[in-house]
Amino acid sequence: MAEKINHKIKTFDQKEWIKTNLSYQKDSGSWAWILHRISGIALIAYLFLHIWSLSPLTQGKAAFEQKMATYSGTFFSLIEWFLFAFVLFHALNGVRIVIVDWADGARYHKQLYLYTWVIGILLFLAMGFVMFSHILKF
Amino acid sequence: MFKYKSSKDTGAKSWVYQRITGIVLVVFAIGHYILMHYQPESGKTYEAVFARMQFGWYRIIDLTFVTLGLYHGLNGVWGIFRDYDLKPGTKITVISILVIFGLAFLFWAYYIVFSIPYGKPMP
Repeated sequence: MAEKINHKIKTFDQKEWIKTNLSYQKDSGSWAWILHRISGIALIAYLFLHIWSLSPLTQGKAAFEQKMATYSGTFFSLIEWFLFAFVLFHALNGVRIVIVDWADGARYHKQLYLYTWVIGILLFLAMGFVMFSHILKF
Repeated sequence: MFKYKSSKDTGAKSWVYQRITGIVLVVFAIGHYILMHYQPESGKTYEAVFARMQFGWYRIIDLTFVTLGLYHGLNGVWGIFRDYDLKPGTKITVISILVIFGLAFLFWAYYIVFSIPYGKPMP
């Protein structure tokens, strides 16, 4: 009997864990979890980088603006814009998680996930306008 | 060595704190992005930073933001480690690294903010 039950349990292969994880069927909630984790790691890494990159403020105007010159220009502006995509996904999906936990959102979490994307894309485009209207002179 | 040192903390409080700090950070992070980008120079010139830092409430908001951000972020990283079955010694090592890095960068951030002159002409 015990052998029969054990046979049905899917054993977890430590060596193949990436493959095993990727083999699971993914619904909206799985994708939300994966993207929340990736965006979260990116944001905490950025926060450390952000504190380091603002540290020349302690040495006054010349040192700070010399450092900031590195981060000016279209290329870094585009990176900053895409960073906002990470902020938005993590923020809006975070709101979704709070609603699921505290406001019976488990009943409508798939709609909430759709709203995360719709509101996120709209705010992302709006931020693109705010950031690049100066360059493009609209 | 640390076999019996494991905390009896279930993580329930940190779960609540993660949600509360998260909600505050949603407002702060999006607000910060708008404030730093609606003028191209607002985040990148010393004059703009200096002018903002003459408001005490702005300093308080910035210090709260970085404190909550580091707490929420590193608590989140710890949450990822908690998904895996770590040995007690590894747990203590991971927590120590996160706490030391968190406090070091927190005090660095505080030091940066307080190094900007307050109520004096711009250097």
